[in-house]
Amino acid sequence: MATRAAEVHTVVPPLSAERPVTWPKRTKARLANGLDIVLAESHAIPKLHGELFFRAGNAAAMHRAPGLAEMTATVVRTGTANSASRQIEENLRRLGADLSSSAGADNSAISFAGLSELAERLLGMVKELATEASFPESEFERERRQKLEEVKLNRTQPGFLAGERLRKVLFGAHPYAQVAPREEQVAAYKRDDLLTVYRDFYTPENALLVLVGDFNPDAMLEAIEKIFGQWSGPKPVIPPAAEPPRPRGRRVYLVHVPGAVQAQIVVGCHAITRKHPDWVKLGLTNSLYGGAFNSRLVMNIREDKGYTYSPRSSVNPLRQYGYFSVSAAVRNDVLAASLAEIFYELDKLRALQVPEPELADARNYLSGVFSLGLATQSGLLSQLATVALHELPDDYLETFRDKVRALTADDLLGAARKYLDSPNMQIIVVGDRTQIEPQAALFGDIEVFDAHGKRLI
Amino acid sequence: VNRLRIPIENITLPNGLKVVVAPDSTAPVVTVGVYYKIGFRLEPQGRSGFAHLFEHMMFQGSANAPKMQHIKLINASGGVLNGSTHYDVTNYFEAVPSNALERILWLEADRMRALKVDEENLRNQRDVVKEEVRVNVLNQPYGGFPWLDLPPIAFRTWANAHNFYGDFADLDAASLTDVQSFFKTYYAANNAVLLILGDVKPDEGLALARKYFGDIPAGAAPPFADVREKEQTEERRGEVPEKFGTLPAMAIGYTVPARRTAEWHAMTLLDQALHGGRAGRMYRELVLEKQIAVEVDGGIEDVFGYSGPTQMVTKILHKPEYSSDATLGAFDEVIAEVQDAGISEDELDQLKIKFRSDYFSMLEGGQGGMPRYGLMHLLACFALFDNDPQLVNSILDGFLAVTRDQIQAVAKKVLRPGNRAIVFRRPAPGQPQAGVKEAA
Repeated sequence: MATRAAEVHTVVPPLSAERPVTWPKRTKARLANGLDIVLAESHAIPKLHGELFFRAGNAAAMHRAPGLAEMTATVVRTGTANSASRQIEENLRRLGADLSSSAGADNSAISFAGLSELAERLLGMVKELATEASFPESEFERERRQKLEEVKLNRTQPGFLAGERLRKVLFGAHPYAQVAPREEQVAAYKRDDLLTVYRDFYTPENALLVLVGDFNPDAMLEAIEKIFGQWSGPKPVIPPAAEPPRPRGRRVYLVHVPGAVQAQIVVGCHAITRKHPDWVKLGLTNSLYGGAFNSRLVMNIREDKGYTYSPRSSVNPLRQYGYFSVSAAVRNDVLAASLAEIFYELDKLRALQVPEPELADARNYLSGVFSLGLATQSGLLSQLATVALHELPDDYLETFRDKVRALTADDLLGAARKYLDSPNMQIIVVGDRTQIEPQAALFGDIEVFDAHGKRLI
Repeated sequence: VNRLRIPIENITLPNGLKVVVAPDSTAPVVTVGVYYKIGFRLEPQGRSGFAHLFEHMMFQGSANAPKMQHIKLINASGGVLNGSTHYDVTNYFEAVPSNALERILWLEADRMRALKVDEENLRNQRDVVKEEVRVNVLNQPYGGFPWLDLPPIAFRTWANAHNFYGDFADLDAASLTDVQSFFKTYYAANNAVLLILGDVKPDEGLALARKYFGDIPAGAAPPFADVREKEQTEERRGEVPEKFGTLPAMAIGYTVPARRTAEWHAMTLLDQALHGGRAGRMYRELVLEKQIAVEVDGGIEDVFGYSGPTQMVTKILHKPEYSSDATLGAFDEVIAEVQDAGISEDELDQLKIKFRSDYFSMLEGGQGGMPRYGLMHLLACFALFDNDPQLVNSILDGFLAVTRDQIQAVAKKVLRPGNRAIVFRRPAPGQPQAGVKEAA
């Protein structure tokens, strides 16, 4: 019997019939003061997850100083007209809550999670931080010193240095070029700069509140109206930004880290934003190239050749521009070999149609993984926020899987030719130049920098 | 406070495999995990890093699913997968649309039944693991701090004290014979638990478990070495040079009371009083008030998920203008205060509310987009260490019952110099200073 059973089990079981994916109903509203609201129920745990976004971040404050929106967000939680820092932290704990405030290139945000039974009080605290932050001088000074140390520490991390250099190369004079301030820029921050950013950015006309959790949406909407209804303020005026360069031809940028025992590669080129009609095509092309474990790049330089642990590619959608990037941390002696394979796989996708079985697998992957987000409050929150912040259609979640499933090999070939711009990829390598420079120089004219951005050659 | 009522069905198959099913049909997604009761603590001597290298080998092919089939089939079913090696368990897990459940169980059963790997696979994954160690430890500021630094200082038993990621010479020495012997010894059905969570009916889950895993033969009961430590009497200190980082760092670890005792419950809440975010005493005193440190965090890592000596660890990155002694002195003041004055009723109330809230998030929580990773992990550890996965529903009670007196008592008993180890990570002299001003 045992032998027979084992025989039966030598064949991969087929997939059974798919259960329909039902996205939860969203409640969308806009208060009279301009605050946009998106709510969705999720009752798996007695908690809620939320995020209050302001649609302006470090890029919109770049003309004042790099990283200023992030510094502002950091200090927001350290004091209000009514509460000192310690009280705020203890009150959060009393609500079983986690809260963080931060800013990226395009948005500032207060994100939070807590017990649903205490939701109104938590929202009250979020409102207090969003409207009555007092930026105590001593708290600002302390956070600025911490930021200074963080900025120094960043420059010792290969991944940070590679990503930073790529953004400089792709974005030039556009604010997206600068992902972090320099030390002297942090040292020059003034409390008044933070107050200005806070006054301009943290307004209801500029805000979006997304909540997912164990609540009744009607009652929650009423509570939000009561808590946030009296707040007012206009959209900020954001100065126009310079056009980014469009680098032609491959160039190599080596960031020299003495003593590095590995080479961090990042290559990248301009691509598209999330609103672009080709987004889904490029998304599928990316997951087939290097966006999944079962992708060509991972199979090649990890599972076949063992050059690296965690190669990956991604499409990075900022609000105004998007870019495509490939990264891998590789053994020093296989830097050139790894770059050769990275370009080989890019060029192959641009030259040859993807075979149908491989395409079918990739379609299944992308549409399946998309629905995993349904299963947690934070996963759902992130999907709802993506739709709202990138101004995608209301039926985006419902139609995404069908769009993926409709894609053909020709669609992918077109997307690869258009967006995986192999001949114009910019190549960043972070490592010890005495170990890797001759290999790096094989791929284009080379510029060498130190970790602080100073040009060495 | 309402009692948790997560529906859980659990059985043990005749071959000794434990099976736990936790149904929840809110989304058409199922999470499957297989946990083996072996981690890096008990890997063979002379083979440091082997348990983790072996974890990689479990993705390299089994009797009917050759190399890459495992990964390919799960991705192509719309799912994600991974594995991870811990002190006392190693796990393999995937989240997929629920129509792929049977396929996933087939894959997990196939590799539990028979691993099929060759020299080429081993050479390949040894290279991959070395790059993993480089990217996470050797080429990173504060790489391995303090999880690789502290054990050799704190402990005297090889099992607790060796390099868990592995010395490269030991990784190079690992052979296919080692792989098959480790598999035979520890990857037996009777040393594992299968978990099926999410969109599955309990009967269906149990029936599928029997269908795919029922005929895997049981193995001999694996040997588990005695990992107890001799009682520590003196403070232990060590140093590790920091190659890249710009700030001096230290980590202080106290060995905690045995799991699931009253003292352990109290210790866990004391840990929260000390390390619970920005409201925690360590962050408040060292970063916010005295402003000696730039970063402080820590705690008892994975408090439910170990079975052997473990520590509550505080990690501190401090400003260079403060000496190690001054920093440690400020740390000691925080410890002395909680020992002398205990904590207030109000603080204890806050800690309990936060603990309960964190517990819910942990159960739901994802890891790399993996829904219910936390619930899976707890069910697995409670099944393997306590033979009682239902503890998920009742374990909170012990924490919510902790008193102020118990917290003060455990602070006095555990937070002694004679029960701690300290590692100092100082930026290596001669290292290029990050403070150098740039020209442009």
